[in-house]
Amino acid sequence: MFQQFLVVLGLTAAIYMLLALGFTLIFGIMRVVNFAHGEFVMLGAYAVYVLQDVVGLDYFVALPLAALLVGLAGVLAEILIFRRFTGDELGSMIVALALAVSLKGAVTVIFGVEGPPISRAITGAVEIGGTLLPKDQLFAAAVAVLAVAATHLLMTRSRLGLAMRAVAQAPDVARLQGISPWRTYPAAFAIGCFLAGLAGALTAPLYSIEPHMGDAALMRAFVVVVLGGLGSIPGALIAAFVLGAVDAGMSILFNPTIAALTSFGIVIAVLIARPAGILGRA
Amino acid sequence: MRLELQDVSARYGAVVALDRISVVVPSGTTAAIIGANGAGKSTLLGTITGLVPLAGGRILVDGADLAGLPTEQRVRGGIALSPEGRRLFPEMTVGENLLSGAYARRDRRAVAADLERVFALFPRLLERRGNLGRNLSGGEQQMCAIGRALMAAPRLLLLDEPSLGLAPAVVVDMARAIRAIAATGVTVVLVEQNARLALALAETGHVLEAGRLVRSAPARDLADDPEVQRAYLGELLPADRRASTNGAAICAPVVR
Ligand SMILES: Nc1ncnc2c1ncn2[C@@H]1O[C@H](COP(=O)(O)OP(=O)(O)O)[C@@H](O)[C@H]1O
Ligand SMILES: [Mg+2]
Repeated sequence: MFQQFLVVLGLTAAIYMLLALGFTLIFGIMRVVNFAHGEFVMLGAYAVYVLQDVVGLDYFVALPLAALLVGLAGVLAEILIFRRFTGDELGSMIVALALAVSLKGAVTVIFGVEGPPISRAITGAVEIGGTLLPKDQLFAAAVAVLAVAATHLLMTRSRLGLAMRAVAQAPDVARLQGISPWRTYPAAFAIGCFLAGLAGALTAPLYSIEPHMGDAALMRAFVVVVLGGLGSIPGALIAAFVLGAVDAGMSILFNPTIAALTSFGIVIAVLIARPAGILGRA
Repeated sequence: MRLELQDVSARYGAVVALDRISVVVPSGTTAAIIGANGAGKSTLLGTITGLVPLAGGRILVDGADLAGLPTEQRVRGGIALSPEGRRLFPEMTVGENLLSGAYARRDRRAVAADLERVFALFPRLLERRGNLGRNLSGGEQQMCAIGRALMAAPRLLLLDEPSLGLAPAVVVDMARAIRAIAATGVTVVLVEQNARLALALAETGHVLEAGRLVRSAPARDLADDPEVQRAYLGELLPADRRASTNGAAICAPVVR
């Protein structure tokens, strides 16, 4: 049972990290609370459906393509909408909610209330340490971990990452180094939405897809990010692990409803003790 | 790089922070801007970097008007500021803070050489290379902030209160470093409340009072001026006893 716990923990935490990373990245750099984050996850799921089941592409081609398309949609959203709300936490929340409702509506109009059935490219299971693991879940977890690691490298090792961190920590001082905040904002949205789209495209074959699937995704991202400290990437990674452990443990011992209940109980308890989150600064 | 301010004014809402300031800093020289707290010294540097908008007047570097150029472009054009209060990136290491200063530069080799130069100037930074900005002492932060500005390979270096909050021994090191930087031909504008230090390092001095320029003169003349001494140099003490006081001890090694 412990092995099963570890495996479920790994899967859950990896997806949580992926969901939360893009959300916290965008907030950290732009102070924009993207409540449409879940809809970008949903777009990723629908994109992979269209590319795989309508266009007929292989899943392994459709997956990165779907994430790229959602990243592109994120850049458009930044240029058309969000850049006007940079630094405006409340205003960005409201406009993001409006965008979320619009995207859900548009997808419902095109694809219907019920999500289309999506075919599963990866089937079968492997036995690891006496536990039977579905290959599709293992694949999703592995890709999620790789994407998180790649994002970490991008943020810590690249010129763009340096610029984004500078803008997140002190935008006026960043400008004094010749860094234009306005150029980092589309990049933040591109990466944040790419990660959201990837999460959607990865999980689409595991669960069913429907226009409201973004709500649960946003809730997960939000809980992880608030628990870890808004804007803190290490905080989000720790929180994803904690919540993944709670989710896995409680789901195995009891059921998913009690797991969700416990997760939120922990969030409330942590926020009472540390209002800025685990690694957040007030 | 020659800097020329023509009738520069700046406002914060209704508060006039700078009132028609005109200053010329010839290329390759060091100018000291002295004045009490709130006189407008930092605002003056802000108008040069573009972070504070002009309410009137013009700023020219090498004869070209900076009007309309955003801060990023001015920095790329060779103007660097070591800001008041250091303003390091708190969650970046010393090494990353320094490299952020060279963000706009593409010449990797020259950047690496300049990094070595900064470490030679401030050996302490090399020891602290992997530490986060927020974990440095005040003196180390100041060295890092100046080092970061140097990493931009500026032709006009603006220093806002580089001696503030430093222990006397560290101020001596700082003064030596600033003199070494100026000797490389960079034009330096040095803002200081420590007027004795600033006048010892500069060719010319400019005195700001409540947003107005009240004196511009060779630095040595200002340092010898009884009125300036009374207002900014604590000249209530006899000259020979000055050496034993803290303020004078700070600057004794750098007075020419
Ligand atoms: N951001 C600001 N908003 C409003 N007033 C400011 C601001 N910054 C400075 N001031 C005011 O402008 C005047 C000049 O300030 P400053 O340039 O910081 O002086 P100094 O650097 O000589 O101490 C002061 O009266 C100060 O209170
Ligand atoms: Mg000041």
